[in-house]
Amino acid sequence: MTMIHNRRRHYLVAASLVAPFMVILALVFLYPAIRMVALSFTNGPLIGAGDWVGLDNYRRLLSDNLFYTSLKNNGYFIVLTVLPTTLLALAIALMINRLSGRLQATMLALFFLPYILPVSVVTQIWSWMLDFQFGIVQPLLAFITGKPIPVFRNPHWVMPMVALVTIWWTNGFNVLLFIAGLRNIPVDLFEAASLDGASRRQKFCRITWPLLWPVTALVLTLQLILQLKIFDQVYLMSQGGPFNSSYVLLLMVYREAFQLNNGGYASAVALVLFVLIMVVSVLQFQLLRLGGGKR
Amino acid sequence: MSGIELANVSKSFDTTEVIRGVSLTVDKGELGVFVGPSGCGKSTLLRMIAGLEETTSGRISIGDRDVTRIEPAEREVAMVFQSYALYPHLSVFDNMAFSLRLARASKAQTRDMVQEAARILQLEEHLDKKPAQLSGGQRQRVAIGRAIVRQPKVFLFDEPLSNLDAELRVQMRLELARLHRRIGATMIYVTHDQVEAMTLADRIFVLRNGMVQQQGAPLELYNDPDNRFIGGFIGSPAMNFLDGHVTAQNDAGIEVAVDGADGQRLHARLASKRVTGDRVTLGLRPEHLHPNADGLRVRMEMVEALGGVSYLHTRTPDGTELVVEYRGAQPPADSTGIAVGIDPANVVVFDSQGRRLR
Repeated sequence: MTMIHNRRRHYLVAASLVAPFMVILALVFLYPAIRMVALSFTNGPLIGAGDWVGLDNYRRLLSDNLFYTSLKNNGYFIVLTVLPTTLLALAIALMINRLSGRLQATMLALFFLPYILPVSVVTQIWSWMLDFQFGIVQPLLAFITGKPIPVFRNPHWVMPMVALVTIWWTNGFNVLLFIAGLRNIPVDLFEAASLDGASRRQKFCRITWPLLWPVTALVLTLQLILQLKIFDQVYLMSQGGPFNSSYVLLLMVYREAFQLNNGGYASAVALVLFVLIMVVSVLQFQLLRLGGGKR
Repeated sequence: MSGIELANVSKSFDTTEVIRGVSLTVDKGELGVFVGPSGCGKSTLLRMIAGLEETTSGRISIGDRDVTRIEPAEREVAMVFQSYALYPHLSVFDNMAFSLRLARASKAQTRDMVQEAARILQLEEHLDKKPAQLSGGQRQRVAIGRAIVRQPKVFLFDEPLSNLDAELRVQMRLELARLHRRIGATMIYVTHDQVEAMTLADRIFVLRNGMVQQQGAPLELYNDPDNRFIGGFIGSPAMNFLDGHVTAQNDAGIEVAVDGADGQRLHARLASKRVTGDRVTLGLRPEHLHPNADGLRVRMEMVEALGGVSYLHTRTPDGTELVVEYRGAQPPADSTGIAVGIDPANVVVFDSQGRRLR
């Protein structure tokens, strides 16, 4: 009898602890989300009522060229960022891991520093550095390509440059995750492998890489989700141009919702992006888990 | 199979010298044990032999080869770590086959060698499991199996039993002794447990502050310690120490007045000359002390009755502890005073610095 009583009390305590969070979550996330889903089936503006139009918004989306351009650009951005930033972070983490003491802390801090900057500062720094007139990087570009390039006004250069800025900005966090993963591998294993006759490369391939795989899968998945949501950098540096060559899905949502006041259509695009992120990230994480084998 | 020779080997971390000029030899096929209190440098010395720590000065030879500056892999040594250091993502089979695969052994040869090691260590049914699915004792055996498979010239064990519970430790100790007899390889075993050292070793090296204090067969160290530290470290329960001063000497030995014992005297065999009044410390093994009406009167404090043997924890009048082994069905009752005697031939004499006097 006391057991049952205690258990009920146990649940009550648990519920009372979780409740405030659940209430706030329902208020500021769940309710708006449901309203947004409902909105996507209407022709309503951002604020105020609209008429039910069924799947019209989604039908319109399928014939909207800008949607396909944005989707393609999102995909291109993923290719430019996710794998490169993961590999780069791994390489940097491996190098930092070989340092020790204060030098290690300093190097880690240097790589992590950009991450604490707000996006507007990051984009301003790089806009200046890449400025066509006085940018400090232009001589380098001129040296490689033969002439200075207005990178944010060139359809071939804009996405790679946004990707570069994004990687520079966010890479420190991935380095940190990899460092934590590397520190979790006991030194004994490397010593045992040394005695077993493993070379530096064999130690990496047979011990570091497989034992780091869960962290790698995590970094890849986090990056995929994060980079699918690209908005700030594009909005601040190129506004989607030139010729829509840096136009991405969230920029489309922003423009439809806040500039054209098409609440219903913007909701439909947002919902599609949400489903896309969900499906792709779950799919990727499952694939990576299979790839790494059961641990 | 080869022996190991260390010649004046030293190791410093920055300005701290942790190994100070160690010279020792472990003969081919011998099992040498490094034993000493924690921080004495025994593990560092083992890791230097393995090549995992750099040697600051001196020379390490395995067989007739100078390996001081050679990579760990080329020293042909295998090491069993305290943590076992099993590769967690590989099966037992793959753990044991790791070195063979790196050495590009054929598939058939790899399988045969792993199977053979698994048979010796009774791991055959666990070959497909991951280390996390094994018990502590089984993991320990996998670690040993990984060493055996490589057929090294020398096996190194770094406190391999310290993570096991007491019962398993005794069992694995016996298995290790059996294994050594079976494969007859040269082995070095590091432990802080002097019982492990006594039961396993052909030769014990007692280390302290980065130096070898004494080396020899287990019973040599037990019966004939070079200094007070060895006397106290080897043997369980430990040797008793009584301070006092020499009151007389004749051909047979010395007579010592024990401090704070109301002028009571003990006799010890001693050949070297002492002057009356010299400070000495007498080392008395518990098993050599026995009740004797004419002996040293002590106060009983507690009796540990273990059945066949009892340990009488007593104190001399000035409070120095004296443990007496008592063999007999009925140990004397607590809280009574008794008198204990000892054959002068069994008393070990140290000078005031703890050095052995003979």
